[in-house]
Amino acid sequence: MKWVGWFKRRQWERRMDAEFRFHLDSQVNDYINQGFSREEAELRARREFGPLDLAKEECRDERPLEALDRFLRDIRYAFRSLARSPGFAAAVILTLGLGIGATTSIYSVVYAVLLKPLPYRQENKLVSVEVSVPQLGDQFPFLPPRIQDFLRWREARTAFASMAASVPIQRNLTGDGEPERLNGARVSANFFSVLGVPVGLGRGFVPEEEQPGRDRVVVIGHELWSRRFGSDPGLLGRSITLNGINHRVIGVALPALPVPNLTSRTREQGRLDFWIPLALSEGELRNRGNWNYGVLARLGPGADPEVGRLQLEGMLRDGLRKDLPEARIEAFIRLTPVREIYVGNVRLRLLLLLGASGTLLLIACANVANLFLARAANRAGELATRIALGAGRGRIVRQMLTESTLLAVLGGFLGIMIALSGVPVLLAYGPGDLPALMAGTGVNWNVLCFALAVSLLTGAACGVFPALRACRAQAGMTLRETARGSLAGGGAARFRRLLIGTEMALGTVLLVLAGLFLQSFVKVITTDRGYEVDGVLSVELPLSGPGYESLDRRIAFYRELIERVRSIPGIVAAGAISDLPSGQETGTTTIFRKDDTNAASVVLERPVAGVRCATPGYFAAGGSVLRAGRVFGQSESTRVALISESLSRRLWPGEAFPLVIGRQVRQGDVTGPPITVLGVVSDFRTGALDREPLPQIYRPYNQAPRGRMTLLARTAQEPAMLAGALRNEVRQMAPDIPVPAVRTMREILSAAVAPRRFLMALTSLFAALALTIGAVGVYGMVSYSVTCRTRDIGLRIALGAIRSDVMRWVFSQGMRPVLTGLLVGLGGAVALARALRSQLFGITPTDPLSLCAVALILLSASGLACYLPGRRAAALDPATALRHE
Amino acid sequence: MSRHKDRTPKDADLLQGTLDMLILKVAALGPIHGYAIVGRIRQISRDALQIRQGSLYPALYRLENRGWLKSEWKTTEGGREARYYSLTKAGRLQLEAETAGWKRLCEAISLVLKVAE
Repeated sequence: MKWVGWFKRRQWERRMDAEFRFHLDSQVNDYINQGFSREEAELRARREFGPLDLAKEECRDERPLEALDRFLRDIRYAFRSLARSPGFAAAVILTLGLGIGATTSIYSVVYAVLLKPLPYRQENKLVSVEVSVPQLGDQFPFLPPRIQDFLRWREARTAFASMAASVPIQRNLTGDGEPERLNGARVSANFFSVLGVPVGLGRGFVPEEEQPGRDRVVVIGHELWSRRFGSDPGLLGRSITLNGINHRVIGVALPALPVPNLTSRTREQGRLDFWIPLALSEGELRNRGNWNYGVLARLGPGADPEVGRLQLEGMLRDGLRKDLPEARIEAFIRLTPVREIYVGNVRLRLLLLLGASGTLLLIACANVANLFLARAANRAGELATRIALGAGRGRIVRQMLTESTLLAVLGGFLGIMIALSGVPVLLAYGPGDLPALMAGTGVNWNVLCFALAVSLLTGAACGVFPALRACRAQAGMTLRETARGSLAGGGAARFRRLLIGTEMALGTVLLVLAGLFLQSFVKVITTDRGYEVDGVLSVELPLSGPGYESLDRRIAFYRELIERVRSIPGIVAAGAISDLPSGQETGTTTIFRKDDTNAASVVLERPVAGVRCATPGYFAAGGSVLRAGRVFGQSESTRVALISESLSRRLWPGEAFPLVIGRQVRQGDVTGPPITVLGVVSDFRTGALDREPLPQIYRPYNQAPRGRMTLLARTAQEPAMLAGALRNEVRQMAPDIPVPAVRTMREILSAAVAPRRFLMALTSLFAALALTIGAVGVYGMVSYSVTCRTRDIGLRIALGAIRSDVMRWVFSQGMRPVLTGLLVGLGGAVALARALRSQLFGITPTDPLSLCAVALILLSASGLACYLPGRRAAALDPATALRHE
Repeated sequence: MSRHKDRTPKDADLLQGTLDMLILKVAALGPIHGYAIVGRIRQISRDALQIRQGSLYPALYRLENRGWLKSEWKTTEGGREARYYSLTKAGRLQLEAETAGWKRLCEAISLVLKVAE
C-alpha cells in the first residue's frame, strides 16, 4: 500500500511539473515570436508567472486525498517515535485501556437498562396505574388497583386510549418431560395491543376469551417455546397442560420480549413464560378488597397525563366510598412510566458505577498527561531542532496530538477487549434484580461508538496540554538552553503536581466510597435476621394439579414427606412454610383484637401483618426463637396462631409476651372467627434488609392451607451435601410435581444481597485500580524529578547533606500534592457519601474508621512510591552525580 | 485552502470567486489548456482582466477537485503534450448558478449607483 501511494504521488508531481513547464515554454515562445531574446523572454515569463514554488505548494494542497495523506504520514511518524519508547507506550496504553475498559463495560449495562428504547410502540405513552394510600405507605409504597377499579376505568371515557390488566401467576407445566414451574400472567385480552407489540407467531387473545369457560387458551413465551418445544411451529393449535388443565396454544411471543410485572418492582421483573386470558370468576368480582390487579394504560394522542390521573383518582375514590363505606381510606393515583418499573432505584446504583468508572478514567487521563509531560521534556531537544528547522508550531502540536490520540485509540482497543471479556462477567455476577433488561447487555455498535468517542476525547485531553506547554516552552529559547530543566521546573512542575493532586483526590473519593460500601455489605450479611442462615436447606413444593385437590390429601402429603425427610441421616429438623422469611410477602392482612367491633374506627390503628402458614416442625427447622407460649402440635382442635413479637407489641402495647398467650385475635375482619394466640416468636427481617420487620401471624397448615409450600430442613453437617438426598425423597413422593433446585438458605440470602455486592465489588475494584494508577503516578513524578535534579542532589551530598536530608527532600516533593489531594478528596467523599446515604447500611457517611483506613492506605502506597526513588537518590555517588548530564 | 484566504488581495486580484467563474466560462467553450485560458480571458476582456498566472493553476486544481472541471492530456497543434480542461455537467450547473448570481449582483450594484446619482 505504501509504495502505491508513493508511486501515485510521484506521478502526480511529474504531471504538475509538465503542465507548468508547458505553460512557461508556451509563454517563452510567444515572447520570442514577439521579438524578445531567449533570455529576456524566459525572464519575463518567469516574472509574469510569479513564484513557482508557491504555486506548486498551493496546487499540492488541492491534491486529492492530501489531508488523508498528511494524516497517514503523522500516524506513521507517531508509530515510529512510540516504537522507540515501548515502555512509555505500554504504560499509557495499559492505563488508558483499564480506564476505557471499565467505563465501556459499565456503559454497556447503562445502555441496556437506562437508554436502549423498549420494544413497545410509543414507550413514553405507557404508564402503570398504581394506588398509593399514605396511611399504609410505610408497609406498601404502592398498591396495584382492585379489579372493580379497573373495570370502571375501562368503561369510562378518560385521557387514556386503552387499558389492560395483568396479574402474575404461577402454574405447573406437565406433559412430555420433567414437570416445570412456570411464571406467567393472567392478562386482559387487549394486553399485547396496549403494550404495543405484535404476537410473534399465531395470534393474541380476543375479547370473548375473557369469559370463563372460553379461556382455555395460552400464549407462550419464545424462550419456553424453543427450550421445551424445540421451536416447533406445529405447537400452535395443540394443547399444553397447566396445573392439570389443558390450554390450547394460540400464539408465541416475540423473542427476548421484556414484559413488565405491574404488581411489583425491579426486583421481580423476571422472564414470563406464558399468558392466559383474565377470565374473572364470580368470586373474584365479589371480592372488593383484593389489591392485586396490575393496570397498564396507554395515553391518548395529545392527552395530558395529569388530567388522566385526576380522572382515575376521582373514580377510584367514588368506588371506594361505595364498596367500603366504613373505611375512610385516603387514596391517590400514581402513574409510573413503564421504564421505571424495570429501572426503579437501580438507576442511582448504575449511575454511581458509571461515575466511579468515569473517575477511574479521569485518573488514568491525569496520569497519562503526566507521562506525556515528562516525555515532552525528554524530547525538548528534538522539538527544538525541529522548530529551528522550520516546523510550524501548529505542526508540532498536531504531531503530538496525533501521538496521544494514537495511544488513546490503542488504549481504546484494549478497553474494548476488556469490555468484551468483562461484560459477560458483569452479567454473570450482576445483581439479580434486573434480569429483563440486563439480558440485553452486550458490546454493540452503540457501545463501540461510545468507547471510540471516549478514546478520542481522552487522547485530546491527555495530549493537548502537554503539547501546548511544550511549544510554549520552546518559544524564545535557543537550542542550547532547552535542557530538560526548563520543562521540569517552574510552571510544568506545578502542573504535574496539580495532576497528581487531582489523581489523589479522585482516588480518595473512590476509596472512601468503596470502604463505606464494603462495611455496609459486611454489616448486611452479618446482621441477625431472626432465622437460621447456615445449615438450612430449602425447596419449594408447588403442590397443585390432579391428585392434590383435596385438602386432606395435601395435609397427609406434607406430614408424610416431613416424616421421611426427618429420617434422612444428618437432618435434625424439618418443616414447611408458605413463604420463606427471606423473601417478599405474598399475603398480608389487618389483624384485629377480639374486642374490636367497628372495623372502620380502628382499621388504621390495627397492624397489617404478613400471613404465613406453617407445619409444626418449621419453627425448629427455620430457627425462630420462641419468646413465650408454645408452637403448634400436629392437630389443634381450636383455631390457633403464633404471632411475632412486633405484632404482639402493636396489638397489646406494653404487655409482656407471656400475658398475651391465650388472647384472641381476628384476621382481616372484625366478624371473622376468633383465633387463639398459642405463642410469641421472634421477628425476622428480609434477606436484603430493605425494610423494617413486618409483624407476622403464623397459622397451622391444616387450618389455613396454601397451594405452595416451601420445605425447610435443618442439617447437622454441610447442608449442600444433603441436597441430593432431600430431592430424591421429594421425587419419590411426588413424581408429577416440578421440583425446583434445592437451595441452601445461604444461597438465597446471597441472591438477596447481590445488588449490594455488585455495587461493593465494582467500586472496590475501581478504587484498587485508581490507587495503583495513582501510586504509579507518584512514583513516576518523583523519580522524574530525582533524575532531573541528579546534579543538585550530588552537589548537596558533596556539600555534606546526609542521606536523611535527601530522603526528606524527595518525600516533600512527592507527598505535598498527595496530602493536598487526600484532604480535598476526603471532603468530597464525605459530601458525596451523605448524598448516597440510601446505599449505606448501618454506617454513617463520616465513619471515622473508613476515613482513617483510606488515609492510611493512600499514604502508605504513596509513601512507598516516594521511598523507592528516594532510596536511589540517597545512594547517589556525588562524584558520578555531578557529572550527570 | 487556508493559504488562499490568508493572502492579502492585490490590486490586480479579481473579486474572490470571479476567477473561478471566468475559468468555468472559458472552459465551457471547449477543451482548453491552462496557458490558453490566460490568453483567452485577456483577449475576450480586451486586456482589461489580467489574471495572475500563479493563482490560475491552484484554481484549476481546485475546480477539478470539486468535480466541475475534468482534464485530459492531449497533443497541441505545436505537437506538445498539454493538459486540456473541459466542463463537467456539475460544472455547467455551477456556471449557470454563478452567472445568475453575478448578474443579480451587478443589477443590484447598478441600482444603488443610479440612486446615488
